[in-house]
Amino acid sequence: MLMAATAASSVRLSTPGAVYTKAQLPRPQRPHARLLPLLGGRRRAVLAASAPSTPPDISDKVSESIKKAEDACSGDAVSGECAAAWDEVEELSAAASHARDKLKANSDPLENYCKDNPETDECRTYDN
Amino acid sequence: MMVCSLYPALRVTTPWSCSESHLGSCRKQLMFCVSRRKARRRAWTGVSCSAETRTVVIGLAADSGCGKSTFMRRLTSVLGGVAEPPRGCNAYSNTLVGDATTVICLDDYHALDREGRKEKGVTALDPKANNFDLMYEQVRALKSGVAVEKPVYNHVTGCLDPPELIRPPNILFIEGLHPLFDPRIRSLLDFSIYLDISNEVKFAWKIQRDMAERGESLESIKASIKARKSDFDMYIDPQKQYADAIIEVLPTRLIPEKSATEVLRVRLVMREGVKHFTPVYLFDEGSTISWTPCGGKLSCSYPGIRFFYGPDTYFSDEASVLEMDGQFDRLDELIYVESHLSNLSTKYYGEVTQQMLKHADFPGSNDGTGLFQTIIGLKIRQLYEQIIAGESSHGWKREQLRRCLRLSPV
Repeated sequence: MLMAATAASSVRLSTPGAVYTKAQLPRPQRPHARLLPLLGGRRRAVLAASAPSTPPDISDKVSESIKKAEDACSGDAVSGECAAAWDEVEELSAAASHARDKLKANSDPLENYCKDNPETDECRTYDN
Repeated sequence: MMVCSLYPALRVTTPWSCSESHLGSCRKQLMFCVSRRKARRRAWTGVSCSAETRTVVIGLAADSGCGKSTFMRRLTSVLGGVAEPPRGCNAYSNTLVGDATTVICLDDYHALDREGRKEKGVTALDPKANNFDLMYEQVRALKSGVAVEKPVYNHVTGCLDPPELIRPPNILFIEGLHPLFDPRIRSLLDFSIYLDISNEVKFAWKIQRDMAERGESLESIKASIKARKSDFDMYIDPQKQYADAIIEVLPTRLIPEKSATEVLRVRLVMREGVKHFTPVYLFDEGSTISWTPCGGKLSCSYPGIRFFYGPDTYFSDEASVLEMDGQFDRLDELIYVESHLSNLSTKYYGEVTQQMLKHADFPGSNDGTGLFQTIIGLKIRQLYEQIIAGESSHGWKREQLRRCLRLSPV
């Protein structure tokens, strides 16, 4: 853990700009930014590293539930079963989205280390 | 937490019957003390009363996929600390625990798990799928300082997992689909917020969330929204008439294209007459103001920012509405806007801007959603401080108690 932190910190110190948080608002996120991974096979590999993917078990559950919902609604589109099936899709999509966010939050080992040790040199941030 | 422990050896008969319901524990002790003083017995050293903090309960109602989690993260950050899932047994716990706050997800009170709902043909939006009796009992217990074993609903498996222990915090948030549905629970809430997202914006957000997911198509998202709409309109939407603050998110009016949702118009509706809550205003409280900050002093990029403030009626109640249409592009726009808003309940100049910057990576950090959520967080902080100050205005009685018990001041 210490080794990993030192390794991560040495990588971090080599890019000193990254240590300091800049008092700047990021550019507004465009809604189609997430669609970029779907465009062009060549860019996919690069963007897959930055856009967190859903864990495969949840992702399979979502696809399965969509199929089930489409089957349930093929008979009667206003029945309770149809609504319950699409509600399940919505629930699983929300769970998938939370899982993606959690993966994104846990992906950087330095961030995880700094959460527990904010006073160490590698983790200090300066606002001015 | 306030602990007034009473040593059983000191039996006192008093004419008062101290029921444990609404009396603060310290007041109970005072009554005992007065009778003791008459008897002039030795000092009652068995009582220790530390600072009183009762649990303040805040409710947040919103549909799934409407930014409840982001709102919660912002709120808990304003109130201090980071709220994280409890380090315990269940990796799928929906609860968040911070230094002063605990967030409970009301999905944990589902009466029917996923299989059960499928059999009965009900959605999670239907009140039949939720156990309101248990919800009310546990929220009431937490409010009065008693820890509870709360069930856990696993969103991935769709089953009800074994319960987890929840200790009463300083501020308890209950977020979910039905915090304002049951009148008993409504009576327990000190403040409530409803996130009202318009259909076009909800659709755009769901596309953004789910399209990146392999297998989700536009048709499936549309079908999912349509299937849930009737239950949503029947059970969830009516809750907004009971909320103290409503955040409405609509498409912008600044761009002439029909229903452009890249830029948002956000309205903060604040009910008048809510205890410990003073609405935010622009320039002059009670008047109607339309303000475009972009111009000579401040240059903004397209489509700019427009503010509106004025009194209004909301479900036949008086309310004030503060509206922001547009986006912040730069830091100085944000601080310029903050300097013109009043009654923000900040503790220092620039606190809103600083909070927004702290979470610049959260969605909505550059438009009214982030701004109003941060402001609501500051309002909740003020509400909490006022409630606690009000409770301890009985502090003078505590002083008397301490003196009569001949205890040194804490």
